[in-house]
Amino acid sequence: MLPWNYGFQWNAGHIIFLGAFYAVLATVAATLLRAGIRSRRDLRTRKVEHIRWHSDFHDLPAQDRVCRHVLTGEFKSRECPHAFDCRECETHAKLIERRPVAEEEIFGLVFPVSRVEVLAEVQAGDEEEFFGLSFPLNRMYHRGHTWAQRESDGTVTVGLDDLASRLIATPDAVTLPAPGSLLEVNGTAFHVRKRDADVRVLSPVDGEVIETGGAGQGWYLRVRPTANDERAFRHLLRGAEIRPWLMRELERLQLTLSAEGAAAPALADGGLPVADISASYPKADWDAVCGEMFLEG
Amino acid sequence: MDKEFIARGVKRCSTGKFLLWIVPWAALLAFGLYAAALVLVKGLNQTNMDNRFAFGLWIFLDLTVIALGAGAFFTGFLLYILKIGELRAVINSAVVIGLVCYSGAVCVLAVDVGQPLRAWFTFWYPNVHSMLTEVTFCISCYLTVLAIEYVPIVLKNRKLREVPSFLVFEFELHKLIYVLAGVGTFLSFFHQGSLGGLYGVLRGRPFAFREGLAVWPSTFFLFILSAAAVGPSFVLLTTWLVEKISRKKLVKPEVFGLLGRISGLLLSVYVIAKTVDTLIWINRTSPESGFPAAQYYSWQPFGTWILFAEIGLLGLVPALMLLSPKLRAHTGWLVAAAAMACCGVALNRFVMTVQTLALPTLAFDRYLSYFPSWQEVGTFLAVVAFGVLVYSVSFRYFQLFPSERELKMQVK
Repeated sequence: MLPWNYGFQWNAGHIIFLGAFYAVLATVAATLLRAGIRSRRDLRTRKVEHIRWHSDFHDLPAQDRVCRHVLTGEFKSRECPHAFDCRECETHAKLIERRPVAEEEIFGLVFPVSRVEVLAEVQAGDEEEFFGLSFPLNRMYHRGHTWAQRESDGTVTVGLDDLASRLIATPDAVTLPAPGSLLEVNGTAFHVRKRDADVRVLSPVDGEVIETGGAGQGWYLRVRPTANDERAFRHLLRGAEIRPWLMRELERLQLTLSAEGAAAPALADGGLPVADISASYPKADWDAVCGEMFLEG
Repeated sequence: MDKEFIARGVKRCSTGKFLLWIVPWAALLAFGLYAAALVLVKGLNQTNMDNRFAFGLWIFLDLTVIALGAGAFFTGFLLYILKIGELRAVINSAVVIGLVCYSGAVCVLAVDVGQPLRAWFTFWYPNVHSMLTEVTFCISCYLTVLAIEYVPIVLKNRKLREVPSFLVFEFELHKLIYVLAGVGTFLSFFHQGSLGGLYGVLRGRPFAFREGLAVWPSTFFLFILSAAAVGPSFVLLTTWLVEKISRKKLVKPEVFGLLGRISGLLLSVYVIAKTVDTLIWINRTSPESGFPAAQYYSWQPFGTWILFAEIGLLGLVPALMLLSPKLRAHTGWLVAAAAMACCGVALNRFVMTVQTLALPTLAFDRYLSYFPSWQEVGTFLAVVAFGVLVYSVSFRYFQLFPSERELKMQVK
């Protein structure tokens, strides 16, 4: 490969020097090529949403990437290694195997069984108020503030949780996927626009959209899940996890509002979240607030 | 107006204010480009260099910015190869600094060498015995690497990442960035060394000539070490400066401390090595060439003060300051030490370039003085303006400091 260089001779000096030079060029070119080939493959296999989420997750502050078991006090500190997709997490599987939901966590009833089985016992309409926010216990919650409710016909209804609903209140615009569209966990479910914020709402489930709702209907999507077993929903928060998670989320909201120049009340101040939080903070950068709360990069 | 291009959750000044900031720099760049164009069109007679004083302000500038830009390769090496994760907070900024420094250096070299249409000759007709060939190859390769490393930073822009192909390419390229970091380290190691070696092999210039190991003179290793030592200091200094200008908290104090500690450790090793090298040169290398070392310092203004300033005041003192945890904890001392270290390396490059050429080496030779022409200064200023512009645009539209959003909340 070397002799095309003017004055090249087959000796150690020439070979080492030019060999190193061409090796570097080849490495750089191969790296670019490899990145290009992988990108093409990603685009073909529709991994864009997966990559978008992983990229966003990577950019989240360390305290926002904590494992759900830190929220419940099972770990002192642990960063989620699966980007909030606990379906693949062995630690999570072991922990829920070892620790069934306890009595005080669900209306004082003892259910020494897995969490999903506990949920099956919870009647529709059972709900609990956490810090003035309504979080029905028959729903499972995604950390990006959506909920998923398993229906008797095997479909799943998806909506915004109460905190998200109060952040968005009446949206300026909603862009929903057409029926037949495929959703994936942590990928984009739909877009909501409020003031200057264009919010990408994360999907809590894998599946196909079969019906769309809207803000006025209390739900946004009805989805036929790709899988309907316990494992398919293992990444969603439920039962006893809701309170500590919500507490942290309210703290995060307060910090975000403060950072955006709004004098936000602390939990210790008391009071309940209003129905339209954005209306109370007209000067706050709502794009930044929503980006933070909806886990966008 | 350009809000949708600015990262979510970070505050930047209004478009008008930003334009006001960049206009003077753009004017300076235009002036510098005019000066450079004069040199390219009319030739080196536009400069105050001549056959006897062939290296001047530009080579001094090249050597200095390449040393200061070493923060890019060294931070990348520490982060991606040695896995010092805290440096993630400054790696993007370090890459931009490196890109600015190296592209500026290459542009100035192109003006200095002239005949840009024949630039490819250096690759096609390489002189494999020349340190300059190694420098040319390594710098052009490393500039390519830096440009590729800059691509993910650009593609991470909020608006650009909405394009799926940009998003996935950025993601996939970033996953392979450790390869580029390794290549960058390899290239930087050699070209920093070759730049030093360039002086060390000058047998006809006993002020610069050094003994060494095999084919490499000691200056080969000293240039690598000094660049690695001040690279983190320059990253620290620029980050602090950007914090002051933008009035924002950009990195955690621990990151400043870590950069200072790394710089301090390497600077101490460098100062020791430089001292040993200087003693060997004074007592053996120079006398063997027929020149007592004291003679070099009899020509004013380059008295012995310059030697003590370089090794002591701007070498040992900042090294000790950076090594002291108490002083490091105080931003003022930390920044002062980093600035001194950067000035130290600049002085070293000045000595190696300008002092070396100013000193007479033959009986009929005379001591020369050199003062750059306005065209040389203009070209120098163009590089500074270019650097400020590229960094300003990058700071506004790209996430140079990933912790900025998080720190904004902590400050509140």
